[in-house]
Amino acid sequence: MANSYSVSGFGQDMAADLDDLVDEKTILVQRTLRSGQSIYYDGNVVILGDVNPGAEVTAKGNVIVMGSLRGVVHAGAGGDENAVVMAFHLQPTQLRIANHITRPPDNETVEADYPEMARIKGGVVTIEFFQTAGERQGKNI
Amino acid sequence: MGEVIVVTSGKGGVGKTTSTANMGTGLAAMGYKVALIDTDIGLRNLDVVLGLENRIVFDIVDVVNGNCRLRQALIKDKRFDGLHLLPAAQTKDKTAVTPDQMRDLCAELKNEFDYVIIDCPAGIEQGFRNAIAGAEKAVVVTTPEVSAVRDADRIIGLLEAAELREPKLIINRLRPKMVKQGDMMGIDDIIDILAVDLLGIIPEDEMIVITTNRGEAVVLDQHSRSGQAYRNIVRRILGEEVPIINLDESTGFFKKIKKIIGLG
Ligand SMILES: Nc1ncnc2c1ncn2[C@@H]1O[C@H](COP(=O)(O)OP(=O)(O)OP(=O)(O)O)[C@@H](O)[C@H]1O
Ligand SMILES: [Mg+2]
Repeated sequence: MANSYSVSGFGQDMAADLDDLVDEKTILVQRTLRSGQSIYYDGNVVILGDVNPGAEVTAKGNVIVMGSLRGVVHAGAGGDENAVVMAFHLQPTQLRIANHITRPPDNETVEADYPEMARIKGGVVTIEFFQTAGERQGKNI
Repeated sequence: MGEVIVVTSGKGGVGKTTSTANMGTGLAAMGYKVALIDTDIGLRNLDVVLGLENRIVFDIVDVVNGNCRLRQALIKDKRFDGLHLLPAAQTKDKTAVTPDQMRDLCAELKNEFDYVIIDCPAGIEQGFRNAIAGAEKAVVVTTPEVSAVRDADRIIGLLEAAELREPKLIINRLRPKMVKQGDMMGIDDIIDILAVDLLGIIPEDEMIVITTNRGEAVVLDQHSRSGQAYRNIVRRILGEEVPIINLDESTGFFKKIKKIIGLG
């Protein structure tokens, strides 16, 4: 993926230097996925709602859930190891990125109440606090 | 023109028939004309719960096949003149009725009754599709168990797909002590996942078993908490705003319930 593009609307144009979540193909799902419902898309998927236990989201690209992700999610389903999964509440039954399959530890009950992002780092799926761009740059937002 | 409400759940044995009988009896006790339809063909038991089994001559399959008129198959309740039951057939299966026939049946009953309440069988197959075909509103019953809530979620998705939007939730068999100990899902956990409005919470109560075995309805029992809970549900169906009974002050779940409204 080419990494040089610009983002506007921040008062000044700035060059993005990250392996950002930008792609041509993205769909916006404006509802909650309930048990038994699923989505497959060969691009990015953004869900404005929850993904409940028993629901499945599969995307060749990234998956972003603007709500609670409690079902099964697969990002980078075509093998893209750079794909990420982001959710306001990331509590998936199972999380897959490319060919990596993970699940939460059996006894874990801690629920983070902040956005988190899962990505492959050094060959393993890691989950980290998702910082907004403003916070990354040390600005107050 | 009456209102057609289906009572459904997905998972079996969570209290659909109990809730149908009590909502129906409660509405009839307040003077409304109510028809209850048992769509659990092959496994009928709404008649038993209402204590009307020995009066069945014709059933729903007889009606849709034209073996009798609708009026002949309707059984009048023992206590309330306004309450009628259309029983399921016991010797047929779910395919003996079609969704189109259910739609016609509901339309006909709606003309005569204030409330038509449909007791849905467990599952998501034809029995479920029949039961929801003629309904305008839906009540989903669950217990505070992960598997029941999962099935309720599945059902809500199917109801939404069938244009039955904004179903109302009954949480049945709640045991406050177990919730407090963290051994049972709490109200807010359930609402958090299902994201629907609560119609009521029924505690686990042996009076339900006792009254059911006598062919009586707990909603008429003035002393039990489950009876009170069903009376409150009836008032919410009628559009009144009744606070949810606080089954457990100490956890303070009451504060967390955001929206409590009737079916209105
Ligand atoms: N709140 C309660 N407390 C105690 N027992 C209950 C309660 N609610 C229901 N029960 C009992 O649970 C059993 C199942 O209830 P019911 O028949 O209403 O469920 P159902 O959802 O209609 O089942 P099915 O899916 O088989 O039709 C019955 O024996 C009933 O008496
Ligand atoms: Mg039943």
